[in-house]
Amino acid sequence: MRIKNFQFLLLFFTAFCLLAAARAGWGSDPVELDFPKNWPQPTYDFSKNPLTREGIELGRRLFYDPILSRDSTVSCASCHLSFTAFTHVDHALSHGIEDRIGTRNSPTLMNLAWAKHFMWDGAINHLDFQALAPISHPSEMDNSIEKVVRKMQPKPVYRALFFNAFADSTATGERVLKAISQFELTLISANSKYDRMVLGTEIFNQQEKNGYAIFQKNCAPCHAEPFFTNHDFEKNGLPLDTFLKDFGRMNITKLASDSLKFKVPTLRNIEFSYPYMHDGRFRKLREVVNFYASTAATGQKIELSPNEKVDLVAFLLTLTDREFLFNPAFSFPKN
Amino acid sequence: MFRFAFQVIGMFCLPLFLQAQGTEKPFSLHFQPVFQQQKIALDKPLKTSGGDSLALHELRFYLTNFVFLKNGAVVFAEKNSHHLLDLEDENSLVLKFQLPENAGFDSLKFDLGVDSLTNLSGAMGGDLDPTRGMFWTWQSGYINFKMEGFFEKCPARNHEFQFHLGGYLPPFPTAQKVFLPVLEKEKMRVDFDLASFFEKIDWPKKHNIMSPCAEAVENSRVLAKSFSVHAN
Repeated sequence: MRIKNFQFLLLFFTAFCLLAAARAGWGSDPVELDFPKNWPQPTYDFSKNPLTREGIELGRRLFYDPILSRDSTVSCASCHLSFTAFTHVDHALSHGIEDRIGTRNSPTLMNLAWAKHFMWDGAINHLDFQALAPISHPSEMDNSIEKVVRKMQPKPVYRALFFNAFADSTATGERVLKAISQFELTLISANSKYDRMVLGTEIFNQQEKNGYAIFQKNCAPCHAEPFFTNHDFEKNGLPLDTFLKDFGRMNITKLASDSLKFKVPTLRNIEFSYPYMHDGRFRKLREVVNFYASTAATGQKIELSPNEKVDLVAFLLTLTDREFLFNPAFSFPKN
Repeated sequence: MFRFAFQVIGMFCLPLFLQAQGTEKPFSLHFQPVFQQQKIALDKPLKTSGGDSLALHELRFYLTNFVFLKNGAVVFAEKNSHHLLDLEDENSLVLKFQLPENAGFDSLKFDLGVDSLTNLSGAMGGDLDPTRGMFWTWQSGYINFKMEGFFEKCPARNHEFQFHLGGYLPPFPTAQKVFLPVLEKEKMRVDFDLASFFEKIDWPKKHNIMSPCAEAVENSRVLAKSFSVHAN
């Protein structure tokens, strides 16, 4: 009898210890991202959302799961496809459930650990909160985070994934958002021909060198290296689309000086991220270059000869990172 | 053998037991939303002194960053101090604190709303979880105070109003500091009288607020002055 009691207590004690260890994060596999050494420190505070293999796996699953949308037809990946720099290329404006059309071109997703604002007007102040916008937008997923959590909670697959990631099978808004952030933070693009040129392991041909010089002289103030964005909002001279009536940053700050300012997009992987601009009005890269070489762009015409335009595009193509675009770790989770 | 097992478990549990028994004293604040001394309950019809009818369908607000003071000096600051009070859930209206036993106090400070640092800190759980319906998804930021209902003077459809007061960015930061003198008792009642809010609103002009704006700041200031402490 005594031995049985002892066994029971030992079992209870062991279970207690295991539970405590699990709650402390024991069992999850920490992940440290490999940041390029010549880049500045990320702005994302990883101490508040430490990456784990299990957290990233859950986030990847959520990213590709249409369960986030009201009628379970649209996922994050519907507008953010891995092999097109995590944007879509077949629509000027993003589309959502029931063939609804939004008002903006879906942005690319990469190097988000260094981003300070999200969305074209910077409406979102933190990567964790970004997913809330498409989840609840009526022209995108037309859902709410409350309903998403309720929908996934009874599913055994998610109960297991949440337990693996957070030592607790309960889905919460915080965990859904942090897991999606974990996956998105892994989307680092830093192995283009340009990056290898900077590291000295590859060299530009003459055309790319010419294009790089043109870029540094005319484009770099806004599309600053190494991210090819200054992470700020600029007015690039695009006339207002009178149908969309989108005034950009002014919608958030209510300041007239922010009228028609939009977040400067990265140029990394620009070869694959067409159409261009916040409303997807340009389908070809040469149309973008022609726009900046015209007087329309903020009145500051960039004088470019036809050859210089070709050189500039040749440089922009060196920003393609095929390892990023076709990384199997970023694609649809097959397991 | 049995005794040994107890000893082992006791060794691990003793610190927890001591912590539970620790030298702390409980203090609770019972928040009571009222309208001109009338206790508010959801959908319960009320009358203003002018005879106008009103009823609330929803009332939720954040109280955060509780600090206890004695002669102006901080004696206790609650950690992770974020509370969502919801008229639909009576338990949420009672805030319980465990103060150090030797902490004498004569006043307390808290925020009506969520501070800017928390607004910028990414996803959080508990009362701050975005599933609680107090976070703007289209423009990041917590809604500090949400009140929806019916008021006879409101010119909107069905006389229904919606006030979602929030926002943390200049020029419209809406979280407000509240300072209250309190007695060193185990529990105190705090009335939150919404009458002055209703009086200040220019009903024909503005009966819906759902984004950061000057009126949201102005109304939040009125609300911050609507708390009063009572001994029972």
